[in-house]
Amino acid sequence: MSNDSLQYQVTLLDLVDRVLGKGVVLSGDITLSVADVDLVYVGLRVLLSSVATLEELDSGAASA
Amino acid sequence: MAALQLCGGNAVSENGELGAKLLEANGDLRRIASELDHLPEAFPRRVEADPEKVEQGLAQLVLTLIELLRQLMERQALRRMETGNLSDEQIERLGETFMKLDRRMRELTEHFGLEEGDLNLNLGPLGDLL
Amino acid sequence: MIHVYGVVDGLDEVPPIAGVEDAPLERRRVAGLDLVLSRSATPPSAEVSRETVLRHAQVVEALTRRSAAILPAQLGRGFRDEDQLASAVAEQAAQLERGLERVRGCVEFGLRATTELPPAPEADTGSAYMQARLDQVRLQDDLVERLHEPLARLARETTLQRRGGGVTAAYLVERDEVPAFEAEAARLEHADGVTVVCTGPWPPYSFAAGTP
Repeated sequence: MSNDSLQYQVTLLDLVDRVLGKGVVLSGDITLSVADVDLVYVGLRVLLSSVATLEELDSGAASA
Repeated sequence: MAALQLCGGNAVSENGELGAKLLEANGDLRRIASELDHLPEAFPRRVEADPEKVEQGLAQLVLTLIELLRQLMERQALRRMETGNLSDEQIERLGETFMKLDRRMRELTEHFGLEEGDLNLNLGPLGDLL
Repeated sequence: MIHVYGVVDGLDEVPPIAGVEDAPLERRRVAGLDLVLSRSATPPSAEVSRETVLRHAQVVEALTRRSAAILPAQLGRGFRDEDQLASAVAEQAAQLERGLERVRGCVEFGLRATTELPPAPEADTGSAYMQARLDQVRLQDDLVERLHEPLARLARETTLQRRGGGVTAAYLVERDEVPAFEAEAARLEHADGVTVVCTGPWPPYSFAAGTP
């Protein structure tokens, strides 16, 4: 593979990483649906507050 | 689920703008370019229709949470190890446990057709979980 | 379905380019915020084509050049209709306003660094496993100190991920600091034994989410 093509690919990797993985998501919930019927909304905000608590526990334990 | 098809041959001329984004690059770029093959697929934020995908989506959610806990514990263990207040026997037992968990996680990830990168929930407005 | 490119502030005019699937770009005012979007007949899908990724990125780039601040939207989540979009945006309006202030006047740069060392071999004892993990963490610490910290000093905000034998980082850099940042990045090219890639300037994708 030529160096130019490699350079293009590493830049493309950075781009795709950003476009698909970063950026603002205007609604932060996961919808579980079967046969086009929305069944469960997993409220990620609720989930995250638990994660934040875990991180605090983690650093708390570290300084103990 | 088909992955992104990104590694084309005529890529250089296709988007000149992109080429201009490279500030600096040195070393073995193949190591970094190869990550293109392992990009997580567009994360299924809506877990759709067919039963197999629902199972996969749920597995992804659950495994991500387990992975988060595993990493938090492992990080904590490494910190304790660095400060030198763990006995050799404790380190051995901790290591065995994390090693087994690590292997088991990889088996499960593979079983549900997921990749390592899939185990990172994007929490939208809150950023990445891991 | 509605495809959103980003929330913008001070956009002079919608760029004269087509959006995803060649659909025309539209500007919408929702909950006091300016959004740029396009419509598509195709339902949302878990599969994303290369064309869609590049087109989305191209529109976001064009919007970045023409506006005072932008929060790029993540690709892959469309909205069924205007109502769904309006309620999602309204719910987050205050947070999005703060997000725009956070990135105003800034661009993003990226860093990827990996070491030439092969990944740690499969350990067969618990102690060996822990030692390998500790070595990996120390290696990452070294990359952070040599590469990330000098760049971070020139940035308003940063993100950092540690993975295996490497680190990936993003920097939110004020436009005035861009020449200094680029010079520092050029200096890092001489880092020994490390593969380094710096890219940018990008729209502030990595700093669009996560504003409290």
